[in-house]
Amino acid sequence: MRIAACIDDRGGMLFNRRRQSQDRLLRQDLLSEAAGGPLWMSPYSQGQFSEFPEQIHAAEDFPRRAGAGELCFFEDVDPAPWLEAAEEVVLYHWNRTYPFDRRFPLPLTGWNLERREEFAGSSHEKITKEVYRR
Amino acid sequence: MKKKNRTILALAVLLVLLAGAWYLRSAGYVGQEPVQTSAAVDLENVPPFSGEPYVAVNNNVPSFLPGELTTSSYEVYSPLDDLGRCGVASACVGVDLMPTEERESIGQVKPSGWQTVKYDCVDGKYLYNRCHLIGFQLTGENANKQNLITGTRYMNVEGMLPFENMVTDYVKETENHVLYRVSPVYDGDDLVARGVQMEALSVEDEGEGVSFNVYVYNSQPGVEIDYATGESWLEGEARPEEDEPEVSYILNTSSKKFHLPTCSGASSMKKENREEYTGSREDLIAQGYEPCGTCKP
Repeated sequence: MRIAACIDDRGGMLFNRRRQSQDRLLRQDLLSEAAGGPLWMSPYSQGQFSEFPEQIHAAEDFPRRAGAGELCFFEDVDPAPWLEAAEEVVLYHWNRTYPFDRRFPLPLTGWNLERREEFAGSSHEKITKEVYRR
Repeated sequence: MKKKNRTILALAVLLVLLAGAWYLRSAGYVGQEPVQTSAAVDLENVPPFSGEPYVAVNNNVPSFLPGELTTSSYEVYSPLDDLGRCGVASACVGVDLMPTEERESIGQVKPSGWQTVKYDCVDGKYLYNRCHLIGFQLTGENANKQNLITGTRYMNVEGMLPFENMVTDYVKETENHVLYRVSPVYDGDDLVARGVQMEALSVEDEGEGVSFNVYVYNSQPGVEIDYATGESWLEGEARPEEDEPEVSYILNTSSKKFHLPTCSGASSMKKENREEYTGSREDLIAQGYEPCGTCKP
């Protein structure tokens, strides 16, 4: 299982049960990271992927259902319990500060940064993607 | 109707319209939207500042009324009160309100309680910022004195900016509207707000995208603030005493009495004993002088 998440400058993910931000081009990049395989997520996250229904697999217990190498997108679900079993972490940085009441479990101790890319989102000036592996 | 009469009638109609517009604005109405002039937050119910820049109010549920939901953009600012303080600022933020030009200088505005003061422990040194109630990135307001309050750097950057970013990016991405209200919260006649209440609700998706109701503290870690005046001092240090005002007195260097310049004892004093003095009363007493029993300076 591979973990993907979006975070702000302080590692925040969620505020008041809502994602901090969203971006159409980031969603496309996330789908390309799934590399044709299923993209697992919660029913809440599924709401912003209505244009790609065939690739989205939504379930309340999606991390449990994801197979080896399959990508899981965490928004309203805490990724901390799943880090130990994960093979890869894909972090998208908004490069903005937002309010948060849930954070991604940082730092990623024991993980190595494999690649870093920057791209302009549809409404975000610069999104930074980092891919970590053990 | 003769031309002269038509002109008089047109002028009368114009005067009535102008008077009506002035009344609506001074009464807090602009366009169709009534201005809420005071915050819904009761300071007695706000927990003391504990190092977190904001705290949820009403379980983070904003208190907009159903009749306030609209997909027409607007922005409304309250007139300053008798103390020169800002009131509630409201908007329905849409992409059409967002700035298309660079921000202009706002340094000419001196919000209530404004002080220019620097501390090493403050990011950027300056304790106070001219804080937009509705951030520039949302409605493009520059030097609007009805939208600028005296706010700490901490409140501006750590407290308010993240919420402004969240609303801005949501509106840009979705092109939806967000109802947005910022209410400065004062204690009595304080010139500086204790904090601001920030509320927002995305309209088209009925709050699925954005919904919050928070109180942001107008605090600065490491600095104590007198909200009545805006004066400040480092935490753990004694508050600087106010300088006693300097007053002019007439001294009798022989009797060691001091008088007001208008005192009869001052005018009848011998020239060789007379000395003019400007300074504090306490200093004179410390030098061994006593106040005149007649003029009681």
